[in-house]
Amino acid sequence: MIDTISILNEIKQAPYKEITISAPHSGRIEFAVDQIGTRVKGASGTWFERPGTLLARLVREGNPKPVYAPENGEVVKFHDVNDREFVQAGTPLMTIRHFLTKQEVMDIILKKALHLFNAPEKGRYYFVAEIDAKIKSQGLRSVSVKEGDEVLILSRMKRETTIPYHGPQGIIYTSYFNSNESVEMGAPLFGVCPEDQVKDIKAVIDKIQSGWEEQE
Amino acid sequence: MDKVRIVRHPQRVCLKDILENVYDNYTEIGGQGEYSIDPSMIIARAYITRNVGKKTYKQPVMVIGQEKGHGEEFRNGGSVKPWGNAKALEYMKVAETENIPIHSYIFTPGSYPVEDYPGAAQQIARNIYAMAGIKVPVVAVISEGGSGGAEAIGLADTRIMLSHGYYSVISPEGAAAIEGRSSASRKASGKLVENCARQLKITARDNLEMGYVDRIVQEPPLGARPDHFEFYRKLRQEVILATDEIILSIRGVKLFRAIALRKLNNPKIYVRWSLSTKSKERLVWRRYQKYRGLSRWAFEDSSTGFQRFKNFALETGWSIYSFLRYEFFGRHQRAITHLAEDVQGEVHALMDRVTHRFSSLFKKLPGVKKDREDVCQLTTLSTWEAGMSWNEHCRYVSPQANQDKTLTCPNSRKSNCLDLWAPDLFGDFAGVCSHCGHHFPMEYEWYLFNIFDSRSIREFNAPIEASNPLEFDGLTHKLDKAKKQTGHKSACMTFEAKIKGIQVVVAMLLARFRGGSVGAAEGEKFIRAAEQARRKHMPFLAYVHGTAGIRIQEGTNGLLQMPRCTLSVRRYLESGGLYLVVYDTNSYAGPLASFLGCSPYQFAIRSANIGFAGPGVIRETTGLDIPPNYHKSFQALSRGHIQGIWDRREIRNNLHHALMTMGGEFLYYR
Amino acid sequence: MKKHKVLIANRGEIAIRILRACQDLGQDFVCVYTREDAQSEHCTEALKHGGEDSLYRISSYQDPNEIFAVADHSQATAVHPGYGFFAEDFRFARRVVQRSRKLEFIGPSWKIIQDLGDKINTKRLARQLNVPTIPGSDRPIFDDLEAEEVARSLFNFQIEQGIEQPVILVKASAGGGGMGIEEVNDPDRFRNVLRKVKNYARRQFRDEGVLIEQRIFDFNHLEVQILADSHGNVVHFGTRNCTVQSTGRQKRIEVAPGFDPSAVSYAFDAGKVLNDVIEYSVHMAQNVGYNSIGTWEWIVSPTGKPFLMEVNTRIQVENGVSAIIARIEDMEVDLIREQIRIGLGEKMDFDQGSIKFEGVGIEYRILAEDPGNAFTPWVGRIEKFSWPEHPWLRMHTHIPRDRVYDIPTEFDPNLALGIVWGKNLKEAQKRGLTFLNQLTLQGRNNMGENLKSNISYLKEKTDSLLVF
Ligand SMILES: [Zn+2]
Repeated sequence: MIDTISILNEIKQAPYKEITISAPHSGRIEFAVDQIGTRVKGASGTWFERPGTLLARLVREGNPKPVYAPENGEVVKFHDVNDREFVQAGTPLMTIRHFLTKQEVMDIILKKALHLFNAPEKGRYYFVAEIDAKIKSQGLRSVSVKEGDEVLILSRMKRETTIPYHGPQGIIYTSYFNSNESVEMGAPLFGVCPEDQVKDIKAVIDKIQSGWEEQE
Repeated sequence: MDKVRIVRHPQRVCLKDILENVYDNYTEIGGQGEYSIDPSMIIARAYITRNVGKKTYKQPVMVIGQEKGHGEEFRNGGSVKPWGNAKALEYMKVAETENIPIHSYIFTPGSYPVEDYPGAAQQIARNIYAMAGIKVPVVAVISEGGSGGAEAIGLADTRIMLSHGYYSVISPEGAAAIEGRSSASRKASGKLVENCARQLKITARDNLEMGYVDRIVQEPPLGARPDHFEFYRKLRQEVILATDEIILSIRGVKLFRAIALRKLNNPKIYVRWSLSTKSKERLVWRRYQKYRGLSRWAFEDSSTGFQRFKNFALETGWSIYSFLRYEFFGRHQRAITHLAEDVQGEVHALMDRVTHRFSSLFKKLPGVKKDREDVCQLTTLSTWEAGMSWNEHCRYVSPQANQDKTLTCPNSRKSNCLDLWAPDLFGDFAGVCSHCGHHFPMEYEWYLFNIFDSRSIREFNAPIEASNPLEFDGLTHKLDKAKKQTGHKSACMTFEAKIKGIQVVVAMLLARFRGGSVGAAEGEKFIRAAEQARRKHMPFLAYVHGTAGIRIQEGTNGLLQMPRCTLSVRRYLESGGLYLVVYDTNSYAGPLASFLGCSPYQFAIRSANIGFAGPGVIRETTGLDIPPNYHKSFQALSRGHIQGIWDRREIRNNLHHALMTMGGEFLYYR
Repeated sequence: MKKHKVLIANRGEIAIRILRACQDLGQDFVCVYTREDAQSEHCTEALKHGGEDSLYRISSYQDPNEIFAVADHSQATAVHPGYGFFAEDFRFARRVVQRSRKLEFIGPSWKIIQDLGDKINTKRLARQLNVPTIPGSDRPIFDDLEAEEVARSLFNFQIEQGIEQPVILVKASAGGGGMGIEEVNDPDRFRNVLRKVKNYARRQFRDEGVLIEQRIFDFNHLEVQILADSHGNVVHFGTRNCTVQSTGRQKRIEVAPGFDPSAVSYAFDAGKVLNDVIEYSVHMAQNVGYNSIGTWEWIVSPTGKPFLMEVNTRIQVENGVSAIIARIEDMEVDLIREQIRIGLGEKMDFDQGSIKFEGVGIEYRILAEDPGNAFTPWVGRIEKFSWPEHPWLRMHTHIPRDRVYDIPTEFDPNLALGIVWGKNLKEAQKRGLTFLNQLTLQGRNNMGENLKSNISYLKEKTDSLLVF
């Protein structure tokens, strides 16, 4: 089993992720944020209808197109681009340090600690009927799987195939897919935790829940 | 400002108090405290007993009104939800069936602006439309008359106002918020609110002077409270008198004279409150005339005496012509036509048989074949009439197309739309994103050129001019600017035009003129357009290029256009006209909640926003967070508020199609 | 010739050919590329011959705004659209010449692109000039009765022509690319099919108009290569035969000239058909004031009747196969170079008389695809791609040979064009097979499977080229 405590400590060392903001297209850049340390906000509102902080405008063909901050965070670096300079598409403009939220930290820990069962092919997935029924009545963590169990149905091009599970025996701790949406090949479908480790993982999650301080 | 405070005071008299004290007994319909479809609207069947001589009469009335409930939370401050107004309408119709008068009591700061079915605006429109033709006397008593909420039950034959009440196009706070929009602070200062309230002329005396209420009931100096029994006595007297008067004024002339003279001296005389069929018609006609005559001083008409005479002569001429053409001759002609059609059908069938036999013979002749081939032109150039090409109508070039720049489609994130070059977008695509179909706003001139047949537009009543009847600060200047900018004298342009040869009368609200807001001038022009359509027996099209609502700076002069215009639309529809409404960009508030929303055929252009109040107002008044697509036309269609959505590039075809399918041969007149 | 800087608004092999032609003419150039396409050789070539300032990364080849932003920043004075992307987009061509910072568009004037881009308009132009077109209607028909009348006479017409099982096509007039086309072989079923197409057209294109045309079976696909300048000169560079196509009408082999009566026998006078289509094409080009390179596409029925299909107002992929058989003053021709010269306003410095044709050219389009499985594209990494040089071989490709290359999935799947020349059809076919046999193309995908290519399919088709 992966040592979740040390992962958590590791995250605590640098409790953020860095996001590089690049020019989405060509044009002349006009920075709206120009100080290192500026706090920025991501999109907000019930429907994310309010855009994030305006970072820059990229003027192309007389059209000043806004570049907004994708997440909350702080500007930590400006790349080597001068204000009002022409930039090519994809040119890095600045880096934002985004402090991890509780949810994000939990996701990271779980993705490392659990055995991830990945999509063998691109397509839409759903649980087989018995498992689905069990999940609906007793919740996700009631389902135990072992090597070779038929757990999922892959629906692709109007054909359905059952997908057997490969990996260690355990319970389905969390699932990452939505049966309405197509999953890319290689993307995680669900995470499995051996039964004897459920307690440990729970403890870590509880610790994050109570102890993690979200930074802005 | 004192007035507003008095009216909103939790101790102010409310509808329940009035039911208890003005009427002799009552039964509340469809509500028990908070158990009601909408506790802010109450309905009651009440009666008034009158002792005349030795006889006692019970006179039933339908009482309808908003209930503020002395600040009870669930009453929502008298702000009625759409379904509350629907309930009111239902019982107005019951009153009509039962042939009893309606007493409505207005205690509302405004309607609750949600779009859930039946929709704030559409339901108010339905109410006003129904009241425009309801065949029982309606007496309205106004304590707090806020905007559309008041109009929903306020179209009455007699309007009585409480001396400390207010009647206004918008709450003074709302007006201040709009007026003070430019200032930095979001909350309007008390001074500005007071100033707005004074300028909007919202008091009972102001409204009496302007002619929008008929009488005032005096209240005690600090306003009526539940224990002011003297006030109830006065109010009771007034509503009885008002009802009597309405009835008397429409009874047969002889009766009126004889009784009215006596009655004026002796209020004890009993008047029966039910109406005969003839009287009902007179009642509705009188109501129409009453509102038709209101607010006529609140706009300017710069046409010369000669023009006016000419117009009058023309109108009379058209009336006579239409009478002869449609009423007199038309009826006979239709009979003849029907006969002719039958005969024609027979002849056709006969001829078909003959020619068929003949043509099969014909085909066998050598040399004839070649001709036939040429008719179909399988290998040679065919003739293609120029008129069939759509481009014929694309000669207008939008000024927006003359800029070398690109625009970003608002859906670009979702649909991956590329930026559009202005000359392509506005010159070729009619302002429609070529990737996702989003419609950018186009200026109204585009429609003039692309919907109507070329050179078929004849504007009329252009000299009627928007003015500043309340001398509201700054409005005159703003209007002058708008007039200069647009070259129009009001936000409503009325004209006759043809759509693929079909003659129509159009009233167009221009978004560029003060947001397409409707004041006394716009209302008057709209009414005259409806009258013209009726007189000339043409379909009537309201093309809403955009409207922000009633022009608030005109106060009740603007608000009154809601019932006024609706009455004229109803008159047009009842005489057999076809009334279509097309919403283009953003259409909100008063006009939608009355003369536009009452049309049975309302269509929206894709990307139009349609609703009662904008997102900001909804958030402020209800505290609800509404999704960004709340007012989109597709939502309006799903909620049943409109009847269809059109693509801008197709309006001309769709309008023509609609005119042909809904009107058909006898389109303009039954 | 005035000094210009040509922005090459394209990718792959055509970008390389345009870049080379610019160099030949002593003109500057600037190239663009996208993230997925960074490994393409056109980027390497641009950097090699033009330095760092001649290559710009853009977000998409399809976004005209990116092209203009780069054009203005790089001070380009002309745009070459290549083929695909903006080549036949009259709005793009119009914007090039109407924006405030104007550029030269290397191609026909936008009005011509618009006129000839409209199939109905092209058909009517042709009929005006008595150029044969596919029998049927030449304007959208809205009226059901009229449509039935046309359909009926079209069936009769075919019977008169001796066709035993006549078939007609009902097409949405606003459609294109094979959308909204239905077939009718029974006159009684016509009304049903008409309804279906009209409904589809109304939903899809907001336009109910239909075209009704004869369906021609087993035809050969011929092309006439036209070159015209803005000074009224029109010449042709002979014909091509593009009949070898994969599913979905994708060309795989082109041969110039279009027929070879000296080596193959035809059921009709093939030489006359070639002359006729050339004459019609030149006549039409002259009449519409054509002023660039362009292709008149024809179909020829098994009885030798030609019908004009459409006009492609662009340089085509297969221009090289026409160039390889043409000589001006004994020199091989580069049609792209001529297109650029004309596009920059130069006068043609030769006439039809100075163009001589020699031998036969065959162009092979090499793709990673599975001909055995409906030509499904194969995606993966190319590890080895090589061929021996020959004096009779011209290879055009953007695949690097000095490193592995991952085939991007975003674009047209062409890998390379191999054009061979022979003094007659037989020699050309022999050299073609030699070329295909010597070609090495290897690779693997994620699952470790070997690259699938169409080489064996091309070999198989070589024997029967130009046989009708
Ligand atoms: Zn769009």
